[in-house]
This record gives sequence, C-alpha cells and structure tokens, in this order.
Amino acid sequence: MESPSPSTRDLARRLLAASLIVSDHDVQGAVLVSDRLRVSLIRFAGVDGFISLQQRALVLARVEVPSLQLVKMGVDGSLQGFEEVPADSLADAGVAITANLLELMVTFIGEPLMRMLIREAWPKTSVDQLQ
Amino acid sequence: MTINGKTESEVPGKDGVFIRQLPTGVPGLDEILGGGLPEYSFNILAGAPGCGKTTLAHQIMFANATPERPALYFTVLGEPAIKMLRYQQQYSFFDSAQLDGAIRFINLSQVVLDQDLGAVLDSIVKEVEASQPGVVVVDSFRTVVRKAQSSNANEVELQGFVQRLALHLTSWQATTFLIGEYVEGELRDNPVFTVADGLLWLYQSIERNSIVRKLQVMKIRGQESVPGLHTFRITEHGLHTFPRTFGLTDNNSEHVKGRSRLSTGVRELDTLMGGGIPEGDSLLVAGPSGGGKTVLGIQYIAEGLSRGEPCIVAMFEERPNEYMQRAASFGFDLDKNLKDGSLKLIYLRPLDLSVDETVHEIVSAVKEIGCERLVIDSLVGFEMALAPDFRTDFRESLYRMIGALTRLGVTILSTVEVEENFTSMGLSNFTISFLADDIVRLRYASINGQLQKVMMVVKMRRSKHSIDMCAYEVTSKGLQIGEPMRGYRALTSGIPGPWSLESTQTPLEVPSSSKPPKPKTPRKRKASS
Repeated sequence: MESPSPSTRDLARRLLAASLIVSDHDVQGAVLVSDRLRVSLIRFAGVDGFISLQQRALVLARVEVPSLQLVKMGVDGSLQGFEEVPADSLADAGVAITANLLELMVTFIGEPLMRMLIREAWPKTSVDQLQ
Repeated sequence: MTINGKTESEVPGKDGVFIRQLPTGVPGLDEILGGGLPEYSFNILAGAPGCGKTTLAHQIMFANATPERPALYFTVLGEPAIKMLRYQQQYSFFDSAQLDGAIRFINLSQVVLDQDLGAVLDSIVKEVEASQPGVVVVDSFRTVVRKAQSSNANEVELQGFVQRLALHLTSWQATTFLIGEYVEGELRDNPVFTVADGLLWLYQSIERNSIVRKLQVMKIRGQESVPGLHTFRITEHGLHTFPRTFGLTDNNSEHVKGRSRLSTGVRELDTLMGGGIPEGDSLLVAGPSGGGKTVLGIQYIAEGLSRGEPCIVAMFEERPNEYMQRAASFGFDLDKNLKDGSLKLIYLRPLDLSVDETVHEIVSAVKEIGCERLVIDSLVGFEMALAPDFRTDFRESLYRMIGALTRLGVTILSTVEVEENFTSMGLSNFTISFLADDIVRLRYASINGQLQKVMMVVKMRRSKHSIDMCAYEVTSKGLQIGEPMRGYRALTSGIPGPWSLESTQTPLEVPSSSKPPKPKTPRKRKASS
C-alpha cells in the first residue's frame, strides 16, 4: 500500500480546514471530516463498508503518526480519543488519517466517485474550491 | 419514438398504450428482447453467482441513466459496494462522468439486517421519491427475500411486499431490475416471478477447459422476444450477446438464389457444375486430406477478387499468414486485396467459441465489406474450435448459419475433410450434406499402384450437372481437371476395376499400364437433372 499522494494529502488538508471553519474548534477536524464522510460512505457502502475502510485508514495513519495509537474506533466507525493525542502532532494526525481514508476510497471506488461522495458530504462547498 | 424499428403510428394497436423500449447497452440483447426493455417494466435478472447479472445491470444502468432521470443502485448484503465498483470500473461502459448526478449507489444492508420488509420498502420508496429515477436496481434482491423468510415472513407477506414494490416503482415511472441468485427449480410458485414483467435468466457452465455462457428471456410482457438460449461472452466491454437470429430479424433480403453463376476459378469444374456455382448457394467441397480442398477455396476467392467481388475466408486450421503463403505458392498474390479491404481473413480458434458467436463475427464482416464470396475452411476445424457444449448441436447450428449467410446473398464454399474408406463414399462425417445446395466430392482411387485423385459433382440443387468422374491433379497453378475416367467400374469405392472384367477376377492393376491413368476417349458428357 502506497502512502497517500500529495494531491490527496492536499485535499485532506482542505477538508480539515473547511470543517474547522464551520465548527467548534474544540472538536478535532479529523473527527468532523470522518463524521461527514461516514454519513455519505455508509449510505453508499453500508456501515461495515465504512468501518472497514476507516479501520484500515487508521492503521496506515499510525505508521506515519505513532501517537494515533491513542485514537480508537467506536462500533459505528467514529473516531474517539483525539483529546489524548499530543497537541504538537494533532495537525499531522488529522491529515494522516483523512488522507489515508481518501486514498483508500480512490483505490476502491475511484476518484470520480470519491469526489461525488465528498460533494454529498460538503454540499455547500465546491470540491474544486476544496482542491 | 420507435418500437421494433417502427414509428408509434405503425405499431399494432396504436390506439392503445404505446410502450417505449429502452436500450440495454448490451450488443445483441435488444434484438433478443424484441426491440429493447419495456419502459417502466419490473424485471428480474436471475442466475447463479458469477454468471454476469451485476455486470448486465450496470450496463443497462449506464446506457440509460441521465441527470434528469438518474439510476439508483441499491446494494443489499450481496457483493460489498466498494468491491463491486472496483471491478465494475474495469469495464469500458463504466463512465465515471455519469457518477456525477446520473447514477447513485445506496446501501440498504443495515435496513435489511435490522428491520422488516416494510422498512426496506419505505427506504426504497423514500429514495425513489427523492431522486425520481428512470432506472432502479436492487442487488441482490434474493438476500432481501431470504432475510424476510428467515424472519418468518410468510408467502403472502412476501407477495404483498413484491407487489407494493412493483406498483410503487412502476407508478414512479422507473424501470426496475431485481438481481437474484436463483435456480430454475424456484421458478414455480415464486411470487417474485409472478409479479415480474420480464425475466432474464443467465447460465454458465464449465465444459472441460471452456466456459459456456447462455442467456434466455423466460418472460417479457407486451412484446415478442427471440425464444431459446442465446450465447454471450463477457469481455472488457461487458456482456456481448449473440442472438440466434444473428442480427437478421429485420433482414428483408431481396436476394434470389441462382440468378447468376459464379465461377469457381477452375473452368473445368464450372463446366461439370453446369456453369459454376449458382449465386447465393452453399457449396460443400468434401474430400480427404491432401485432396486440394483449400486450394480450390483459394482459387474460388482469387477468381472473385479478380472480378471485383469482396471476399471473406473464415479459417479454423491455418493461420492467416500461412494461408496467404499458400495462396502465393499457387501464384495468387492476395496481399493487395487484403490491404484494400476487398479480402478479409477471419481466423478463429479459441476453442471455446459458440457457433452463434462465430457467425456474428462473419456476418459483421460480410456486412462491413459487402462480401459476395465466403470460404469456410474447414467445417472440421470449425467444430474443433467450438466449446464441447456447442458441438452437440453443431448440425443445427450449421443449418442456421448457412441459412443466415445465404440470406445475405453470400455464395459460400465450405470445405469438409472426409475420412476416406474403401468400402463406401461418405459426403461428410457430420451428415450435413443436406445443408449444402451443391456438393463436390474429391476422393482417392487406387489405380495402377497409385493414388489417383478423382472429382465428381454429387449434387446441384435446382440445376443440371455433369455426372462424370474426372481425374484431377493439384499443380503449382491449382487444380487441373482431366478428362472423365472411363473404363472403370466401382470408381466411387476407391478401388475400381475394369468395366469389362468378370466379377470373379481381382479388380486391381487394371488397365495394365505403368503410366498414370489415361482417360479413355472422351464421350459426350452425360447430364443428370
């Protein structure tokens, strides 16, 4: 498994930024992005489909950012435990897990469908703007 | 708006409801269905796992989905959506641009697992009302039914569910496809099949080293489909069906057989045949190995090309370059014709062909170049190239093939190898001579310690022909036919004797001469009617 491409990381950063703009800064961006993608991914691939991808993304992201060992997944696929992650690695952790999830989506369902799901998750934000 | 190629006003019962037909996006399938899929119909795609149901549904969906009338693809506990799409994207019909509003995938697994049939129906209804789709697919519907049955839903409840689903989707003007892994034994008394307007059954079987795929329209309301099993193949482009009608259902051929005669390229043979091959006939050249069947085919083709007639050679034994080399060795340079497209060589030998697939290939080529002469070399090689399953009905398939091709006005020369024996003279090992309008038989005769080649015209449908048996040779210029062989009896047995010998004497070594048989003084050729 290759690590996420620069463009996927860039998209992850933009999604994180877009999520933080409209939300309470106490909630981690990665959690917000994951929650939004979870809704559209579950609708498309089912709960099990989303959980399997999120689980794999978390494992891959832990290789890049070891402190993500502190983050666990709930039974519904939600990310829990971000508050335990050291502040200085929070940004990298968010990018790593989001980028790996996006990369897995590209691998399995292709980029056009991934973009469509992102559009569903961020209906008021242009994907082109995000990218 | 058309139906079966007719305009709305031309359709019988035009005062009634006009049912539009949707394209399937699958080559050949619209013809099998009788024009396409009836719009707003409620259909089932059934068959065993791996036979192509999901791919077929995707092809139909991609052929019809638009942003205004999108397609909804509900996945239910079957193949996980992320896996399914990974593979479906490998097909050329998968247009990613359509994912942007024209096609949507929705997973219903959790609803099916956690809730009852009513909740499943509600979920589908909700999505359909929100999107107003033109096409709806539920994959796999069988799992919905199984779940319902395991939850003790009785048959009446199940029938009610299917009926409400069908009613709702039709009312919302959606054409629906339920995908299910069914076996044929389930056809009877199954409420799903009762409610369905259309039922397409896909089969696949493994025969030795080949996979044979077939499709059948078991039910289609409101239109006439082509009955029977139709073979199909799954390629990088998805399903490709080969209708038993060979794409000729609307072929109003004006070709009349025998309006003119085509030269075989061997003048003496033309004479024996009473002037050549009647246009549009099917000529069978039967003979032993080394008898010159392929050479005669080459001469027939070369003659046609010299007259500006586009030609096709469908070969099942030699490769195209070998065939061209062989033609060149007899002084026929066909390269120019190959380059300018007046000659097409079709080489087919994958060992899992169906006759229908082969004929489709030939029919397309015939239409493409306006072919007038076709050589099939040979029927034995053709049979060998077929999957074992198709060899069992080879005769019936050949009958359909020859009929289809001659309807197009093509004059066919087929070769068939006959295992020579010296007690009788068979015409082919397939008992297919009834398929041929005309038959030329080549055979060996043992004369003076030599194998002499003998040629005879056995049959010319509707016309007179010579009944002479002539010696011939395969020379560097092709077949050279000599005079009729006179003075022998039992020539057809391959072990002739002198016409005048007593029956008690041995028929061998006559007439005494060390030279090759010298035909007796020619008499006036007799003709049969």
